[in-house]
Amino acid sequence: MEPTNRTGTGAAAGSRAPRDRAAFRYYLAATLALIVLPALSFGKTAPTIQLFPTTVLEDIRQTGTVAAEMETGLQEAIGRLDQQRRLYQEAKCEGAGDDPGCQRIAKQLGATYLEMLNIMSERLPDMERAVNNTHASLERRLRSELGNKMTSWTLQETLLGVGEDRARESAPVLRGRSGIRLSQRFQQYYRLVATSSVNRNAHSLAVIASDMYLDMAEASDLIARTREEIARATLMEQLNQSFGVITPEMQEVVDGVKAILFGDYEAGPTVSAPPPGTFEEEYTSPLEF
Amino acid sequence: MNPANIRTLVLLALTGMAFALSGCATTTADCSLPRTASLDVAMEAAEARLADGCEAEFDRYYAELLEIAEGDPGPENKRRFSEFLLAATDRGLLSTRQAERAYNRYFNVKYVSLMGDYNNCAYTCPRKRQVLTEMEAELLDKERGLLRVSQDAAGYYRADRLFQETELVLEATCTACGAP
Repeated sequence: MEPTNRTGTGAAAGSRAPRDRAAFRYYLAATLALIVLPALSFGKTAPTIQLFPTTVLEDIRQTGTVAAEMETGLQEAIGRLDQQRRLYQEAKCEGAGDDPGCQRIAKQLGATYLEMLNIMSERLPDMERAVNNTHASLERRLRSELGNKMTSWTLQETLLGVGEDRARESAPVLRGRSGIRLSQRFQQYYRLVATSSVNRNAHSLAVIASDMYLDMAEASDLIARTREEIARATLMEQLNQSFGVITPEMQEVVDGVKAILFGDYEAGPTVSAPPPGTFEEEYTSPLEF
Repeated sequence: MNPANIRTLVLLALTGMAFALSGCATTTADCSLPRTASLDVAMEAAEARLADGCEAEFDRYYAELLEIAEGDPGPENKRRFSEFLLAATDRGLLSTRQAERAYNRYFNVKYVSLMGDYNNCAYTCPRKRQVLTEMEAELLDKERGLLRVSQDAAGYYRADRLFQETELVLEATCTACGAP
């Protein structure tokens, strides 16, 4: 035993560097065990989903800006249309097509309508591009984050917000006719997701992303159909101009545009949930998932 | 015929009938639960019957107990059902997985119908309609277990909202998965 010890002591100076390295490795392992691994395992219990990276946020912001520009352009034309239509009704022009005054109002109305269609045909391609970009980037994120990286079970846990305090957070407003301007809707979306990293949890983001994606799909479809219709509507109105007729179709188009852009919707009643904190502490069964 | 033989025959017939009657009566009486409004009494009786050879009646007992619990509601019923299922697991009447499914289907916000182990694009989306139909049926059971048996309205509302959110998120996700 002693010679061995002596030999060891004698070799101490030479073996200091390897021993220091070994000590460093132990230290590193301890650090990993105490700090890094718990952090990694925490990451496993609360998975982060990357639904709104900067590129998606930029697409949403851009769509909002384009929508605002389109609204500004159309607002004036639609306001004039409304005024002229009211005048036409107040003058009891319906059924009095031969009256020269009524014919003049009808022609003015038709001209404003054509103006509105022109503005739309000018702005819609930008709008369509912006909406389609947002739709495509959301589609990629949804497919990758919720479709390929999650099972139905992990999706359920994400939606329930496992380990998160749901009671304090208000639920995101679900899809539907919001009764607000298109640009404001995008502003809302942007605000919702841009502040998400600070105060929104994964479950809300999954719902917001899904809501927005389906909304974009509808908007994109609607824009494409509107673009197809504009050429036909323009031709029809040019023909009508010769006769000074206000068609129900014309009225319908104007109402449709107003509804999409300015949110003239009838919002349905909402069902309230019970106030939080009014229930007793829940029993947790050992059988519970 | 000899009177002694007749007597023997009558005696045999009566004995046979008595055996048959007593046999039928024993089977019916042993496996039926007492008519009671008390969940505790009904659970005790069910546990005794299960230990006494009526294992095959487990599903019927569980359904009857839920029915009785609806008339005797309260938050403590979750614990009662959990303990009943754990006892059944201990006796080997149910596997742990079966007990978990029976409990969570009625008394948990989470859905047993959403237990897939594979990714959503590959597994859940192709059977989305079926999954949602099963969730809807399970929501009815949760209405019974959480709302009517345990008076856990908050839990039931969460389960209802979870169903709505899952429907929305699956619609979007599955559309995204199927896109070119």
